[in-house]
Amino acid sequence: MIETRVFFTSMHPKGYIHTKVKPGSEISREDARTNTEAVLTISEGKNFPILVDLRQIKSISKEARDHFSMRGRKPHVTAIAMLVSSPVSRIIGNFFLGLNKPTVPTRMFTSEPDAERWIRKTLAE
Amino acid sequence: MGTIAGTAYEKMLELSGIRPLKGETEDEICERGMAEIERKMAEKQAHFEQDARRVADILEVVMALAELNYTRKAELSEKSDYIDGLAAGINMLGEELKGSTVSLHEKEVLLKEVHHRVKNNLQVISSLLNLQADQISEPVFREKYLTGRDRILSMALVHEKLYESKDFSLVDFNDYTQSLARSLNLSYNPDSARIRLETVTAAGTAGMFHIETAIPCGLILNELISNCFKYAFPGERSGTVTVRFDAAEKEDGIEYLLGVSDDGIGLPEGMEEKKEETLGMQLIEMLSGQINGSLSINGKKGTDISVRFMLKAD
Repeated sequence: MIETRVFFTSMHPKGYIHTKVKPGSEISREDARTNTEAVLTISEGKNFPILVDLRQIKSISKEARDHFSMRGRKPHVTAIAMLVSSPVSRIIGNFFLGLNKPTVPTRMFTSEPDAERWIRKTLAE
Repeated sequence: MGTIAGTAYEKMLELSGIRPLKGETEDEICERGMAEIERKMAEKQAHFEQDARRVADILEVVMALAELNYTRKAELSEKSDYIDGLAAGINMLGEELKGSTVSLHEKEVLLKEVHHRVKNNLQVISSLLNLQADQISEPVFREKYLTGRDRILSMALVHEKLYESKDFSLVDFNDYTQSLARSLNLSYNPDSARIRLETVTAAGTAGMFHIETAIPCGLILNELISNCFKYAFPGERSGTVTVRFDAAEKEDGIEYLLGVSDDGIGLPEGMEEKKEETLGMQLIEMLSGQINGSLSINGKKGTDISVRFMLKAD
């Protein structure tokens, strides 16, 4: 597991990357880049789907959103499942589904098992 | 205790959340319960007021965004509740809007640059014609070069007024008329002693033209004014050239009047009827048609030529 300023990132035994935002985190572009580096280190250059647990996020800057949308660069993940619960995490999730849409399939979930099921489905495809 | 009083007592216990203590009298329980209810109500009121302040803060950010002010951000609390969700959404929306506005600003800069360059290029062409004219000793040919120079300068002036304008799309034709008349006066009548120039512009805010109207109108005015200076006062004859630009509101739009008159020698015999004879008159005729204008020529007592045209209300 790699711990950065605002994320815990690890390889889940079921074959996807799991990244969890620390409580009350305000994510900057630098935090987003560091997260990508952590994902690349863990995935050892291979592309996996990712489950992002946004439930305790406080805010995320436009630069960080643009970075995570992966526009104009090669994606380093195959799919993104966002786990949300609080109104703040829901609105941030909705921005990723609308204005800052990533270039890989992305969905938002309120239940971790549902998110995991979808991720496993993308792995099977 | 009666039924009503009993119900009220139970309600007080429910609302206050207290439990009677051993040895506590009914009055003491009621007093403690009411105090607890009041404390809870005060706490609720304080929460409500705090939430109202948070919502008011978000509304102020929305108002700032409406005024294209992106510096304000809504504060997020540690609650991560719906108000924080709203604040986070407004903040992110502001960031996205800011990105779009910057590109709009960039487009404006580009548009301004285009008008500036077109004006500079037209001025270079007119300078080349001026230099060429200096090389020509034959007055008739020299004059043709200078006439061409003025036509180009009148178009350059439209682009100059456009990049000086607020939105780079509308020319204040009152201002344009004044500038063009002044420029031609300096060119043809440098000492201003013999020929007096009067410019009357009264179109006010109705006199804002898009480039497709401003260019033909500018060329028409250029022809009319320069013709007066060139032909109306031969020899040492003196007089006045009057330039008019006016607008009148009509039922289906605005009617404009572009006119130039002088108290000079008037038009040569038959010129009113054969108005397509010279290139200048042909141009005026053609440009009037371009703006659907009607041309009126009176050359009996001095010369008075005007073009009336309508622009429909948007």
